[in-house]
Amino acid sequence: MLGCLACLSAAALTFAGCAVHRAPLVAISAPEVQALAARPGARATLVNVWATWCPPCREEFPALVRVGEKRRGQGLRLVFISVDPEDQLAVVRKFLAARGVADTAYIVTGDPMVFINTLNPRWTGALPATFVYNGRGELASFWEGAADENRFNQSVDQAIATR
Amino acid sequence: MRTNRRFAPLWVVPVTLAAVAGTSFAQTDAPAVLAIGATAPMRETRMMGVDGKEITLADAAGKKGTLVVFMCNHCPWVKAWQGRIAKVGNAAVLKGVGVVAVNSNDPAAYPEDDMAHMKDRAKDLGFKFPYVVDATSDLARAFGATHTPEIFLFDAKGKLVYHGAVDDNKDERSVQRPWLMQAVSSVAAGKPVATAETKSFGCGIKFRGKSES
Repeated sequence: MLGCLACLSAAALTFAGCAVHRAPLVAISAPEVQALAARPGARATLVNVWATWCPPCREEFPALVRVGEKRRGQGLRLVFISVDPEDQLAVVRKFLAARGVADTAYIVTGDPMVFINTLNPRWTGALPATFVYNGRGELASFWEGAADENRFNQSVDQAIATR
Repeated sequence: MRTNRRFAPLWVVPVTLAAVAGTSFAQTDAPAVLAIGATAPMRETRMMGVDGKEITLADAAGKKGTLVVFMCNHCPWVKAWQGRIAKVGNAAVLKGVGVVAVNSNDPAAYPEDDMAHMKDRAKDLGFKFPYVVDATSDLARAFGATHTPEIFLFDAKGKLVYHGAVDDNKDERSVQRPWLMQAVSSVAAGKPVATAETKSFGCGIKFRGKSES
């Protein structure tokens, strides 16, 4: 019980007890993100760049998880990429576990400016940032700032329609 | 620089490094940011500073140039760089470059970004330049500023010559490219800025509702 309390306190979690993200947490560069989006097997890939310390990122996270779960069967690949520093990996894992993320998640690696400009030169670096790719790995939509479930769904619909 | 991958499990299937074309038809929702060479908008708009005095960008302008820093109090990214902002800003003032730090965040969203906390922060950091409230967030909108910290540096003629990050590393001991410090030195010397645009991650500005003016 004490362990659970410590866990909740450290990660500012609200539920899921002491669950820890058991899926891999993998370093990723921008070209690898693009390659991942182009990998066969998905009709659309939604990439969300976030951080545990970013309030709007945390706010939109549950909606993203819901969209990912509901639309996985329709061919949506949901990719979470954290920009948290390496010394915060434990916090990232706890955050992901508390929100039910069981798939592989990612941590940005390399020069942030290169990462930003490679994913989209129009991205200013503000968080959160969302990129939706079609099944060929072509960027269909991008925006900065938090969004709701409706917008996520619409952007996925659009990406799937551009196949 | 985060380059090591010691936390990546070895069994993870490596992703292909094939280059993918990507942005040609994308619908983007990115703001129009002030372009290099542009002049500062809203130069005569009065903003309240932590010293209780109102000031405009025109008031803050220096003979050699003007440095506008969009920042706030709550953002961990700002906290990582605020000491360097104070250091470069105070040095800029001594070189004849006017400096103003601007907080455009809505304190209703982030209580730590209210005036009381701004006063404490400016005092703690030893700012020798104004730290003001963009009370409508319209200055940030006019600049196209989206996150904190975000830097805009104008030369003696009022032209934007540098936009972007303070430097290239959250850890000050690991900085290799001190972009802002170099840009300020160039502006103070009347020389061209070598690197005009850079980027970094940052906290999205929490804009207030649009003003009616």
